[in-house]
Amino acid sequence: MKLWYSFTKELKLASKSFYFYIEVVFAIIILVIVLFVIPENFNSRSTEYLYLDMPEAAESVLLETFLKEDTDGQAESIEVKIKKEMIPTTYYETGDRKIYVVESEEYLVKLVDEKKQIGAVIKIDDTGETSYKYYLQGYETDKLKNLYRVLHNEDMRTLEATINAQDVRPISTEYKVMNDREHTLPSLLTFNGSLMGMFILAAYIFLDKEQGVIKAYAVTTSPVWQYLMSKALVVTLTSIITTAVITIPIMGGRPNYPLMLLLLITTGFFASSVGLLISGVFKSMQKSFSAIFFAMIAMMIPAIAYFIPSWEPFWIKLFPTYYIIQGFSEVIVKGGDIAFVLWSSLGFLVAGMLLFMWATHQHKKALTA
Amino acid sequence: MLKKIWAVYLRDIKVNTREAITIYLILAPVLLALVVNALSPSINDTTVKIAMVEGENPAQVEYLENFARVSLYKDIEAITERVERRDNYVGIVPEGDGYYILTQGNESERVVDFVKALQSLYVLDASIEDSSAEIVDFGREIPPLKKMLVNISIIMSSVLGGMIIAINIVEEKGDNTISAVNVTPISRMGFILGKSMMGLMMPIYGSIAIILITGFGYINLGQMLLIVLSATLLSLLIGFVEGLANDDMMTAAASFKMIFLPIAGVIAVAEAVSEKWQWTVWWMPYYWTYRGNDAVLSETATWPQILLYTAIILALCGVVYLFLAPKIKTGLAKS
Repeated sequence: MKLWYSFTKELKLASKSFYFYIEVVFAIIILVIVLFVIPENFNSRSTEYLYLDMPEAAESVLLETFLKEDTDGQAESIEVKIKKEMIPTTYYETGDRKIYVVESEEYLVKLVDEKKQIGAVIKIDDTGETSYKYYLQGYETDKLKNLYRVLHNEDMRTLEATINAQDVRPISTEYKVMNDREHTLPSLLTFNGSLMGMFILAAYIFLDKEQGVIKAYAVTTSPVWQYLMSKALVVTLTSIITTAVITIPIMGGRPNYPLMLLLLITTGFFASSVGLLISGVFKSMQKSFSAIFFAMIAMMIPAIAYFIPSWEPFWIKLFPTYYIIQGFSEVIVKGGDIAFVLWSSLGFLVAGMLLFMWATHQHKKALTA
Repeated sequence: MLKKIWAVYLRDIKVNTREAITIYLILAPVLLALVVNALSPSINDTTVKIAMVEGENPAQVEYLENFARVSLYKDIEAITERVERRDNYVGIVPEGDGYYILTQGNESERVVDFVKALQSLYVLDASIEDSSAEIVDFGREIPPLKKMLVNISIIMSSVLGGMIIAINIVEEKGDNTISAVNVTPISRMGFILGKSMMGLMMPIYGSIAIILITGFGYINLGQMLLIVLSATLLSLLIGFVEGLANDDMMTAAASFKMIFLPIAGVIAVAEAVSEKWQWTVWWMPYYWTYRGNDAVLSETATWPQILLYTAIILALCGVVYLFLAPKIKTGLAKS
């Protein structure tokens, strides 16, 4: 009962400060950016520079194949500026490639060097023998270089036919793959809700420390843990509201909302406990700032793994945000891994409780000091 | 006036050194740079991961290891269990005389296409030794991803400057020291500028430390500093306004999103969105900072280009200042 009273009192206080409204306004800004700035599909195309060193007839055949793949079926004459020189190119844009065909190997070298992209000379000699010369930057891995070496050893039509003949068997066809816009949501929700929750809760307590409010708890019947819990609940509730503002218009009815709520509450509680602990260990916001800043930067590292799925070292799983980001990605699509979200939530709840107890101990110690 | 501002700055350093804050701030960019150095080699070395049956076809394993990361498992059940885990492992599973590709079902099309291509090359017996391809490179060792992480770190150090200012001002307001300045020879504005010096020095020191530690010492430092300073001006302005506009640390902390959000958006658009959509973030000064830093780190920047970007950033800062000037005046009067 006392906890409920403390919580409603904190909620009233929060609603009178700008904090709550800033959170909602930023959630709306995030929503607008995601909806209107981030496209559903990024359409990222790789850039390639080519020089075709071959008889005119063979060149025409090759250019014809580029033209067939071109999105508007037309080649464009484009001059690319390199320092003070304008290099003439013929430009083709396919679904996944931007191809610039140049008139000499010298031009190709200049472009690859300046634009830091890949280039290739395709040569057909008098005997009809085809050879390839790739211009790379130097930082490419040996595995990628091996692929370039082997890729053109086979006739492209034979290779394509063999690729198409491969038997691919998915374990499940229930997965709904997210588009690029939806794919950005889990990391945004993690940052907006959980990470900022940690930061804001620490600021919340420092504010009370500064105003001496927390000292009053030494002479009241209300225990310190209830005071800390009421703060954590306010931040968690704000995080639930802002997450709803962002998620509902973008994802509609597709997410598993009860599971999302569970994840939000447990991760919000965990992040709040970290914030409480920081505010218990440090004397002021200024002194804790570096610790908070670093914790936030470090906690964003799993976002890199999220956007580059093939990079996922084992140690990335030691970061709690790995489970928050992955958890959100499971709850916002159909067919997500429910067990993963439940286990993660349990982990955050237990870790949050332990940290909360530690933070309460720190604050009690400070009150009696 | 400048002497007094300097005196406030020196006093800040003295106080902060006693509290070890200066040491944290000095360590911040060094740690950021070390994290970038530690992460970038492994991120650059990403390729598909393939799960196969141990001892079933060693020649195939040896061949595929030339292009991908191959892990071996005792049987098909173990491969299935591995593929089902959260990361992007794809199985190549024997069946009769051939093989099939086992996926979880949520992998990107590119990953599956890549494994299909590798398996096809193996089936066609395409050998690296018989290759007619020649590879020439420019001897560059720093991958684009490291450049991107360094760029982000430099911007973060300028943001850190703005945040330090906001925190400093809010704390001084809490202690009522800004009002107490009325009875000293320094003006309120002078005092606040003095308190902001730490935030100005941080990005300059931070950027240089990050550039040198991450191995970008060969770039044009003059061009880089010009961009960093203009970006810092914006961070200072935002930090300054946030410090004056917010009376408590909590609302100030919530408003820090105002800095983080556009930066995250700008990086996402600059890196992942096609050229035709780039105009959507032209109005954000951090976009030009990111582009400018990228050009300098890539060594493709020219002075006219950097001067143009700097002019755009400063012009946008001017617009931000005009918009926020009344808030600064009110904030100063109320403090």
